[in-house]
Order: sequence, then structure tokens, then C-alpha cells
Amino acid sequence: MSFRPCWRCFLRASDLSTSIWQPSPARLSASAAPFSTSTSSLTNASADRSTAFRAKVFNLKKEKPKNDVRAKRPAPGERKAYRKRIILSNTNALPIYGMEDFTVENMCKQESKGMVLGIPGNNVDQLRAVEAFKPTQAWGMFRRPGMLVRNETVEYAKLLEELQSQGKSLRRVLVGERGSGKSVMVLQAMTMAFLKGWTVINIPEAQELIIGHYDYAPLSGSSPLLFIQKSYTARLLSQISRSNPQLETLRLSSTPPSNFPIPIPANISLARLAGLGASDPEIAWPVFQLLISELTLPNSSIAADDQKRPPLLFTLDSLANAMKDQTAYMTASFKPIHAHDLTLLKTFMDYLSGASPLPNGGLILAATSASNPPPNPSLDLALAKLETHSASQSSAPSPDPYNPSPATPNPFYTYDQRVMDIFEGPNGGQVEVQRLPGLSKEEAKGLMEYWAKSGILRQDVDERLVGEKWSLSGGGIVGELERGCIRMRI
Amino acid sequence: MATKLSGALPYRLLKRCPHCDSHVPRRSQISLSRQRRQKLSTSQGKLAVAAPEIDLSTIELKPPNPTHARIVPASPSYFTGRPLYIDNLLSLQSLLRKYQTLPTVEPGLAPRVAWKTVSQYRLVVGEPVRPSKYTFVLRILKRLNQIHPELVPPELQDELQIYKRDVDPFANRPTPGVIDEFGRSYGVGRRKSSSAKVYLVQGTGEVLINGKSITTVFGRIHDRESALWALKATGRIDKYNVWALVTGGGTTGQAEAITLGAAKALMVHEPALKPALRRAGCITRDPRRVERKKPGHVKARKMPTWVKR
Repeated sequence: MSFRPCWRCFLRASDLSTSIWQPSPARLSASAAPFSTSTSSLTNASADRSTAFRAKVFNLKKEKPKNDVRAKRPAPGERKAYRKRIILSNTNALPIYGMEDFTVENMCKQESKGMVLGIPGNNVDQLRAVEAFKPTQAWGMFRRPGMLVRNETVEYAKLLEELQSQGKSLRRVLVGERGSGKSVMVLQAMTMAFLKGWTVINIPEAQELIIGHYDYAPLSGSSPLLFIQKSYTARLLSQISRSNPQLETLRLSSTPPSNFPIPIPANISLARLAGLGASDPEIAWPVFQLLISELTLPNSSIAADDQKRPPLLFTLDSLANAMKDQTAYMTASFKPIHAHDLTLLKTFMDYLSGASPLPNGGLILAATSASNPPPNPSLDLALAKLETHSASQSSAPSPDPYNPSPATPNPFYTYDQRVMDIFEGPNGGQVEVQRLPGLSKEEAKGLMEYWAKSGILRQDVDERLVGEKWSLSGGGIVGELERGCIRMRI
Repeated sequence: MATKLSGALPYRLLKRCPHCDSHVPRRSQISLSRQRRQKLSTSQGKLAVAAPEIDLSTIELKPPNPTHARIVPASPSYFTGRPLYIDNLLSLQSLLRKYQTLPTVEPGLAPRVAWKTVSQYRLVVGEPVRPSKYTFVLRILKRLNQIHPELVPPELQDELQIYKRDVDPFANRPTPGVIDEFGRSYGVGRRKSSSAKVYLVQGTGEVLINGKSITTVFGRIHDRESALWALKATGRIDKYNVWALVTGGGTTGQAEAITLGAAKALMVHEPALKPALRRAGCITRDPRRVERKKPGHVKARKMPTWVKR
């Protein structure tokens, strides 16, 4: 018997009768390429015959590693977290000794105008819980969060005082140029409300509610059909329970409706109730409804031993998004849902239009956004009408036929009646429109001195610098002032 | 002889001597030289006298025969290459000689005059005057122009008028800006294809451009700074309110057009700021425009990519 070598595998076939030439499939898979250095598991993996053959080709060139990613890829959600993170302190900034805190007393003083006051620590936590701070604002540049007391701040402090003492309610929309401080004005109102023990509910960005990032479901039994956003409502309830400590002392005084999904103890605290809803999105919407109705119960109908309901501050930012007639959500018949058919926004709009009363007083505050808002001619027209109406009460405007006022309807536009009704409906006449102007030069000087003391603005703050920066920022538009002084430094 | 024959001389030659006052007739020159020669000869005549002196009075002169008349040019420069130019130069030189003692003004304070260029002068005299030769004329003209304006004699004024350009570019002065009844001054500025009308009024530093705030019109801080650069460079940003209308072009052009307009309007309020504004670069209009596209090019200068075949 000759020893004939196998020329493919250089093995000496000791016995041709062995099963090399009649392999079983299992055997083949194990020793299909005896000369290959690749492991048999890899050859198994390549089901394609041509690639299996190619693996056997002797290649002098060094093969490129397939996954040539040296940097670590960010984990899912890490980038968004980075984008949305709120930094409220900077240890490199100089601390300002003698900086006063925002208090109930000094916020309505005329002497505080033009001063930068610090936000008290527990209020910072509350404001953080209600997402009042925005990533675009410059909190992260300073040692601790502080706010400029501007003319309107003092006005708001007095307004809140008046609303609380007289039990009145007010609905207001903030308008103004981009960077004029509308969102910070809402934040200041929230700070004051927290200091005064009000209940604060904040929808930090209406856009989040309409772009289809949260789950939604039709609300059974509603006519016309409404849609609830369970997880967002749960988030909102968590936000309310974390930020409003006074809810611990408030007790449920009415019996929940018969179709309430879970049994709840009769004397449950409102904080506990909100916590229940926050932990379970399935029951979030009925809990939110119950909570809101509890918070707006007239104090006269509450038992004497119960805590009185404090006034309510309900705020919403980026109003134009909340007025869209077409959201990213679709009905079962694949029609876009109107923003006012989403229950959370509907709740806010009912308060804004005055359809839902605030018997214990309070403030409904909506801020428009001038940074890339969706075009909304209905909202623009309604706000312009209200603004000119309030302006005409002070001084009669001269009609100019060549320059029609924005308060005149454009015949080429279609207006959304649902939006117009909020401001023009039976209860809508009393919505106030407040235009935020730029800072005065004194306020600008106070703010720039604060920046200089923090070590961020490295120039002498004198009349000349203040005047120059004030003019360059379009007459004291805070955002532009900040951009010109502390952001775009060379 | 020239005076005697003047009636018979052709018009062209007569015109050749516009300034006969300073001109010595040829005949007298000849006769003078003859006398001098005779004097010379008499002084030497003691040694050798060829003939006694001719007493012309005794010679009976025949009436001149007009056919024997020789045409003598009116100008002594007739036989030079550029007789009119030489005449002019001589006339100017004599004027300078005549009036050189008159008081002059400081070199920078003489009235600005645009003298004729050499080509314009050539058209007047009809002679191919070289530029280097014309500079002699110009040099005298500039010296004569230095004479105190109140003491310039009319004769000199008439003479200088010949050499002045027909259209005086220095007479075309911009109308000085005025502050109107509302306290506004006005200036126009241009840059690239933008044009800005700027009104300045004393105020607190408010700015409105096309009825909008400066932050709305110019998103870039750089553009805002360049729009208000005239005021910023002079430290007047919080002293005036700006109201501007700007059209055409893009943001950079519009911002820099406002710079020039604001500088002009500011100079109406404070003319003394002109040197400071010039140092800040707010006076001179930047004449650059988009360069035109040329045939054969992809853009103004870019050539198409070279392709083999």
C-alpha cells in the first residue's frame, strides 16, 4: 500500500478507506478547510460558498480590521442627555460676597431693581424639578444661579401679592423679541410662587407634547374625541409632587369619581395622590384630573379643618406649538390631531381662555417663543388684536393705510377658529398680552456689574460700555446683551 | 515796417501777436544793431574808415514800392517750432517778472485751481506741446496763483483764466448738511450694492433700521458693530439715536452702508470729528463691486477645468 499524500491538506492519508472522501455533514463542517488558520466556527458562519472559498486564499496584505472605531460610541440617550443637561454652577466663576437671596420681602422692593439676586437653594431644586431652567440659558457660567430684578419682576411680585390677597385670577401671555427674557420671566414668576407657597404646574416646552415623542391614546368616552398622553402626564405628576411640598399637607376633600381606576384612601394627601399617578402611567390621566379639580376646589367648599387651597400658577412655554392645528399625532382615520384635542394642552387652554375658573386665585402664564416658532397666523392675529386693544386704551393709534397693523386679518390667510376662540371667546376677552421690552440702562448696568464681579466680563463697567452694549443689543435685549458681553468674547 | 505793412498782412499772421505791448518791432531791433555796428566801426574808424557816414536826411527817399514789401510775422516766435506756446510762456514770464513782488499766501492756502491738462492746452494752441514743456507753464501758473487773491490785478486774472479748465471740478462742492427743524441730520452711505439713508438725532443710543431693531436686522454681532462703527469709534453711541433705511445687497453691504451714512450724518452734528472718522475708516467709500464674469471663464477669474482632448 503506497502512502499517497493528500495534496490538498498535506496530510498523509493512512487509510483511503477512512471517511475523508465520504464525509458526513457534521464532519465536513468541522474540517472543511484544514489549511485555513481561521477557526472552524468562522467558516461555519459564512454560509455563502464563495466567501468560504475566499477565506482560503493566501493573502500577503494585511487585512483591515473591520470595526475600526477607536472612539467609544456614546450610549443610547447619552447625546441627548448632554444636550439637555442643566448646569447651575461653575466653580471657576468668582463667588459674589454679599449677594442677597430672592425673598418675599425684597422681590417687590423698588430698591432691588437692577440688582442680581440669588435663587435660594431649595427653590433651585423646585425649579429644577419643574424644568424651569433651560439649557440655552447661561446658568452654567456663574457660581450659583441668580436673577436680575427688572422692572417687570417687581411688577410681577406686586401682582402675585395682589392676586393672593384678593383671590383673583389673571391670564396672561408674554410676547417679545427673541432673547427678551420671556422664559426667565416665567421662571421668576415660578420662583415667587414657590416662595409664596403657591402650587406650580409647568409645561416647560409645548413642543414636546405635539411632536409625537410621547405615547398617546384616545380617551374613552370623550366626545369630541380627545387623546391622552399617559407617560407625559405621569412625568408631569412626578414633577408636581416633587416641586410642591405643600401638597403633603393638602388632603383629598372630595370623593373620587366612581370610575376611578384604583381604590384610594379617603384622606390621602395630594402629594401621595400625585405620586400614585406618577408611578403608574396607566392611571396618570385620571389622577391628574382629580388633582387639578382638588387644587381648584373653592376654599369655601372645603371643610374647616382642611388646609385651604393655595393659588395656582400654571405656566406653559412656547405657546405657538400648543396652538398648532396639526400635530404629529394621528387619529384612527389617519387625520392629524389638533393640539387642543390633547388633554393636557386642552386643560391649559381651558384655564387660559377662562373656561375653567380659578376660584382660589392664581395666574395662568403662557410665554411665546421667538426662536424658531411654528408659523401660526391665528395666534399672531389674536395676540396683536389684544395688544393693540390694550395699547389703544392708553393712546389712540393713527390709522395708516399703507402700513396695515398686524391686528388686521389678512384675507389670504385662513384662521383657526379654535385658536381665536381662546382669546376672543365668551371668556377670552380678558387675556392680557404683555410685551417684554429690553432692559433699561440701569438694569443693564446692574447685570453687567454682576458679570464683571463673577469674573466673566473683564472690562470696566462704565457708562460708555453700558451704552455701547445696550445699543448693540437692540435696546437692552437680555439675550443679545449676554451674547455680546459674555458669550462671544474673543 | 511791420506796423506800416500791417494793413497788407494776412489775417493769420496778424493774429500771431496777441501781446504787442511787450513786443519790440523787428525793424527797430535791426536799426539799433546797425547803429551799434556803426558806432563800433566809428570807434575803430580812427584806424580805418572805409567811407564817411551817410547822412540819410540828405538822401531823397523814394516812396516805397509795395511790391518790394517783405512780410514780417507779428510774433517774434514765428520761426520757433511752437510759436504760440513760446508766446504764452514769454507772456507769463513777463507777468511774473512784473508781479513777483506782490504778497503771496501760504502754500496750502492758495485757491484750488484745476489747470488745463497738456492735451487740453494742445487743443487750444493747436501745437504739439510736449508735457515736459508744459510743466514750465504750469510752474509759472502755480507761482502766479500764490499771489494773494485780493491783490491779483485784473490783467493777471484775465491771463490766468486762459489756462483754467472750462469746468472747475473744485467748484462742485457738496452742499453742507444741515440739521433740520426736528434736530435730525441726514447722510447717505453706499457699499457694494447697498444704499443706506441714515438720520441721526441726539438721543440715548436707540437704533431702528427699516423700522426694526438692530438685533432683528443683523443677526451677527459683527454686522451690528460695523453698522454703528462710526458712532462707536468716536464714543458717540449713547449720544445719538439712529434711524436708517437701507436697501439692496446683503447683510455686510447693508451694515457698512449704514456706517458711511451714519458718519456723514454725524459730521453734520460735529464737523470736527472728521479726522477721527477718517482714521476709523468711515469717510472713504469702498468702491469695490462684484467683478463681472468674463467669456471663457467660469466666473470672474476662474477658468474651466483642464480636460485632456
